[in-house]
Amino acid sequence: MWRYTLRRLSFLPIILIVVSILVFVLLRVLPTSDIADVIGGQNATPEQKAAIRARYHLNDPIFPISFTGSAPFVEVQKNSQYSRWLVDALRGDFGKTYTSQKSVRSEFFRRFPASFEVVALSLLFSVILGISFGIISAMYRNSPIDYFVRIFAVFGTSIPEFFLLSLLIIIPSYLWNYSQPVGGYVSIFSDPWTNLRLFLPATIILGIGGSAGLMRLVRTTMLEVLRSDYVRTAKAKGLRQRTVILTHALRNAGTPILTAIGSAFILVFGGSVVAERVLSIDGNGLFLFQSTFSRDLPVIQFLAIYTATVVVLVNLVVDLSYAFADPRVTYR
Amino acid sequence: MATLADGSVTVGAEESWELPKNRSRLSQLGRLARDNPVGAIALLVVIGFVILGLIGPTLSPYPPKELDAGSRYLGPSSSHLFGTTRFGQDLFSRVLAGARIDLKFGAIVLVLGFVPGTALGIVSGYFGRWVDYLIQRSGEAWAAFPQLFLLLTFVAAFGPGLQTVEIVAAIGALFGGSRIMRVVALVEKQKEYVVGARSTGASEFRLLWRHVLPNIMPYILVGLSSVFAAAVLVEATLSFLGLGVSPGDPSWGADLSIGVGAGSTYPWLVIFPGAAISLVVLAFNLLGDTLRDILDPRLRGSTGPRR
Repeated sequence: MWRYTLRRLSFLPIILIVVSILVFVLLRVLPTSDIADVIGGQNATPEQKAAIRARYHLNDPIFPISFTGSAPFVEVQKNSQYSRWLVDALRGDFGKTYTSQKSVRSEFFRRFPASFEVVALSLLFSVILGISFGIISAMYRNSPIDYFVRIFAVFGTSIPEFFLLSLLIIIPSYLWNYSQPVGGYVSIFSDPWTNLRLFLPATIILGIGGSAGLMRLVRTTMLEVLRSDYVRTAKAKGLRQRTVILTHALRNAGTPILTAIGSAFILVFGGSVVAERVLSIDGNGLFLFQSTFSRDLPVIQFLAIYTATVVVLVNLVVDLSYAFADPRVTYR
Repeated sequence: MATLADGSVTVGAEESWELPKNRSRLSQLGRLARDNPVGAIALLVVIGFVILGLIGPTLSPYPPKELDAGSRYLGPSSSHLFGTTRFGQDLFSRVLAGARIDLKFGAIVLVLGFVPGTALGIVSGYFGRWVDYLIQRSGEAWAAFPQLFLLLTFVAAFGPGLQTVEIVAAIGALFGGSRIMRVVALVEKQKEYVVGARSTGASEFRLLWRHVLPNIMPYILVGLSSVFAAAVLVEATLSFLGLGVSPGDPSWGADLSIGVGAGSTYPWLVIFPGAAISLVVLAFNLLGDTLRDILDPRLRGSTGPRR
């Protein structure tokens, strides 16, 4: 299993290189408007724009290798934007933001705890919600609670999270004058109550969004498993219902559920952008959103690399966890 | 007894049992609606949405962008059905105009993304080999990333605006459509009528165009429905974030985000645009679900919205 993990991890650098090249193509080769215009603003003089271009090396070729029409068809440039970025990135330096001139890396780490808490709490909530209601729904098939769960799952995938979040902020405020704290991350260790109040709406709404698919999947897998012979045997020999459901049925429904938890993670991770924007939580989702607005290329490049890493690692963890759910799965 | 490609049934002369009465198309439809009430309601909502999108602006009592400083933040009443915004615009007229924006947006996404995606999926599933491999792997890579991160990266590249959003939503629809149709084409190419038509010497193109395509039309409708739902959601989300329609344009997402600021005092500013988005997305998703359940339970889970 360790060898398998290492082999999978060895793909990570290759994936990251590919992602970084794609992002470079997207952000620097294709854009319809000049980045110098965006950074300098509308009133920038041509001299100022030239200075900006020189400062961020925007006049350099983008990639170290370019193709030409005549032999030898390939031209190698010494100083390109990509090679400069790559060399710095390998040293752990992801440049400075265009807008605030701060280190992208330290800005990222400053915002990381808030984002981490949004994603972690929401994922936890969606897993609890999804698995428990999925099981209940399968156990009491075609009962009112089953119908409720099924309707809930459809609504959860159709109603946009930003609408539910807005409702969750305005309704308590309209009815009971409750004001939702916005912005200002407070560590859970120094002030747990304010911290939880800040993250509660995001946790509820992202959790619901992430749990809908999971709920549906747990229900269908459990329905299948509950019909199987070994569950009937377990019931017949007089095991308690809790034991039958949790250790016999759920364990055997394991692998598809783990895959669905992986998808729930990706959903929650993506949804954190909207949640952080609505609640003004100063995390990396908001960072990405603001950088999109101001075309802050170093930030977007870095966050793309970060996202790719997270996606690859989550998929790896999901694959490895199959072995825990099902001992027959071995990795070599 | 043999089932023909168009679903009609022929019975040999030696079979003497009573034939079921040949029902008219309309009564067949009625029966289908009675068996699937949710799907029928969803279909009505979808039809209503399309009609309002087409003729909505002629029904709207006020011009959707007209500012009226004298009637700001009015509550819902008979003269302003959904109340007015902070600029005194009639919210009902704006929601009607929003239907047209989304209808147009969805149509563009379908043409730019879903149609080529469907063609790609069919070709990929039908011919297989490296084309299939390439399309599938790139589709998986696209699906592996959080949708919003992809959208935002594209917006950063092309700049905010409805056109960018159209491009990105179309790419999503391309992959979404090809993923659904690939599975369908894989199943379809094994069927007897394809083998039969091929044995009569039909060319592969004719086979695909005249035989396979009409047979998988219902599945295309399933895909179309869920892709449309996803497109509306994308437009609403990016307009909500301020990266979609230009400021002032009556998009549901944009109106909702303007309304949130004053929402705790004037909740209708949030509720009506949000309800419009939810209703339309829900209807398209439910319609897709119902069609899929009627057609083929095997496809369960391969369609559906993604965010």
